[in-house]
Amino acid sequence: MYSLLPLLSLVAPSFIGFLCLFTYPFKFLEAFFRRIEKLALLLGTSLTLLIVMTMVPYILSGEALETPIFSLKVDSTNMAGAVGIVLIFFLASLYNVEAERGGRLKPSMYNFFVLLFLTCMLGLLFSYDIFGIFLLVEMTIGVSIVLVVHNPTKISPEASFKYLIITAVSALFVLLGVLTTFISINSSSISAIMDNSEFFRENSRLAMFIVACFIVGLGADIGLVPFHGWVPDILPGSPPTVNGFFTAEPIAFILALYKLINPFYVIYPSQTIILLLFCIGLICVIFGVLSAFSQKDFLRMFAYLTIEEFGHMILPFGLFTSFGLTAGQFYLVNSSLMKAGLVLCLGSVLINTKTSDMDSLGGLIGKMDETAWSYIVCSLSIAGVPPLSGFYAKWLLYSAVYDFLSPLVGIVFSLLTVLFLICMSIVSLAVLVRSFHQIFLGQPARGLNDLKNVPWEMWLPTLIIAIITILLGIQPNALFNLIKQP
Amino acid sequence: MELTILASLVVSTFFTALGAFSHTTKRAIGFLALQAASIGFVELVYCLLELITGLHMEALISFLAVFIEWFTSAAVSPLIIYWGMIKTENISEKPLVNNKKALASIVTLTVLWLIFGSLFSNLLPKRLDILPLTALMLLFSSFLIVYRKDPLKILVGLNMAENSLYPLIAESPISLVPFILGLMVFVNIVGVFVVMEAYREYGTILLSKWRVG
Repeated sequence: MYSLLPLLSLVAPSFIGFLCLFTYPFKFLEAFFRRIEKLALLLGTSLTLLIVMTMVPYILSGEALETPIFSLKVDSTNMAGAVGIVLIFFLASLYNVEAERGGRLKPSMYNFFVLLFLTCMLGLLFSYDIFGIFLLVEMTIGVSIVLVVHNPTKISPEASFKYLIITAVSALFVLLGVLTTFISINSSSISAIMDNSEFFRENSRLAMFIVACFIVGLGADIGLVPFHGWVPDILPGSPPTVNGFFTAEPIAFILALYKLINPFYVIYPSQTIILLLFCIGLICVIFGVLSAFSQKDFLRMFAYLTIEEFGHMILPFGLFTSFGLTAGQFYLVNSSLMKAGLVLCLGSVLINTKTSDMDSLGGLIGKMDETAWSYIVCSLSIAGVPPLSGFYAKWLLYSAVYDFLSPLVGIVFSLLTVLFLICMSIVSLAVLVRSFHQIFLGQPARGLNDLKNVPWEMWLPTLIIAIITILLGIQPNALFNLIKQP
Repeated sequence: MELTILASLVVSTFFTALGAFSHTTKRAIGFLALQAASIGFVELVYCLLELITGLHMEALISFLAVFIEWFTSAAVSPLIIYWGMIKTENISEKPLVNNKKALASIVTLTVLWLIFGSLFSNLLPKRLDILPLTALMLLFSSFLIVYRKDPLKILVGLNMAENSLYPLIAESPISLVPFILGLMVFVNIVGVFVVMEAYREYGTILLSKWRVG
């Protein structure tokens, strides 16, 4: 169905972003803008949330919304992702009201880049043009680097430079894949890949080369092992609010990766692609959990757990089954929301105590009770403890893996794989519970006795995420209905 | 592949290799400008000839697009990095591996490319016959990115790598050229901004000193 809503959801945040940027050169507007800077960001994200939510009834009724002139399409394969992204941005911008304390960028510039970041995320989800996807990937990288370097700490330039190099090289691989595809089929539309299936069947090595370019390119942007080098540096190097915005990034990147490689898999169903993605997923899970275990800095611990989550996210998509896609989307949205909850809680602790060293923390539950409860609920959910939404997400994930593997390798090996994944989840639960114990339980550490609670603008978003996970655990269909395959 | 295109690609590959070995930041930027200028030169001349002989609107648009593309990669991007160098420092640092080892690696890569390139060129469709040479240039550029401790040289390497895809980018729709170029300039500005901020924090642009600082 023709609709301007997908386009409007991109125009709204970028328009408000440009309005913010418009005040940048005018000194006389600066004082005025400083008074409304936080509200302007909140307005941009809430307006986008509103526009995206108006698309939900159409998707629930089985319609797909298209703006063909810009190759934008919203359907059940990207609606849940879009809701997840706008929700994370809205909650993080509410958190931003108190948490953002200024940095290297002027407020107008900061708002512009955050809203541009949101536009890029949604664009990546909705675009069905390979050049559009490349441009949005490159823009996302540029914008996220600027947002990292906004942090006025000493480590942020180094972290952002590392991020710049790894992701800019990865963008070249995306460009190489995009250009090779375009030159091969003379079209930039993803649907044209299917129309030229005969060409790619004849040139199967070329198809594999393109798929490899996309996996390497977008894999590095996501932070998959072995391209994860920037992840543990970026989280401690970014402002807490920006870390919140970053949790939405995998939704856009993973769905874009799936969108790009799925047609090639349909044309040339090579087991190598599945094996590659499955192995990358498993390695991410193992590496992430084991590295997180030994961390004393909670942001680095969270960074490694994020890598573990990337592994879990990529696994169901790499199966290329209808159930895998459903499970993957549910897991992706739920996990990103939980990660947003966790990272915002950790950000509150960092802002309040000025340290991320878990050894010098303790007893914060008495001072920051809302944050503490939100943290433990999100931790239990992300580890898959019932009756929270994470349990349902993990159940779907394990079912998709089992269903796929059992006809191929037998029941025993499939069960062992699922059992192994469950063990990894238990280890990540142990890491999170231990961090909860170190940060929030026990006696208050020295110097933390006079600590006050964070403002409500900072704990409310985390509490909302905790409530969402409980509600989704009781009624997972609320999210599942958005994902159901037509 | 036409001989002129092959010649321009060989020349730009040569400049890429020279850039990988350049001592100072200034010289690396110079080689970046030369590499970019040579890689797009043939196409620019073709478009100019088409414009002179054809004298129609399409030829003019096509020439302007190619000229802007060529000018951005050969002048604008190097100038942005050069500006970053002026604001920070022009350093001559020791690469992570010495020149002998780097040379040996480059020779090995070239030999491997000659073997695998000839094998793969038979498998590639005719439209993509420049891909092996592009891949070789990409490999040389990666030397600058991997083996250098000067972030501006790494940025030069990144630009050289992007330029190596120029023959493929030239095939993309004209309407996309401004966006691709805009992003190229944007990423360079962001890169230089990050380096300048790091220089302000650590007092040096040498990557190895950032962590210590």
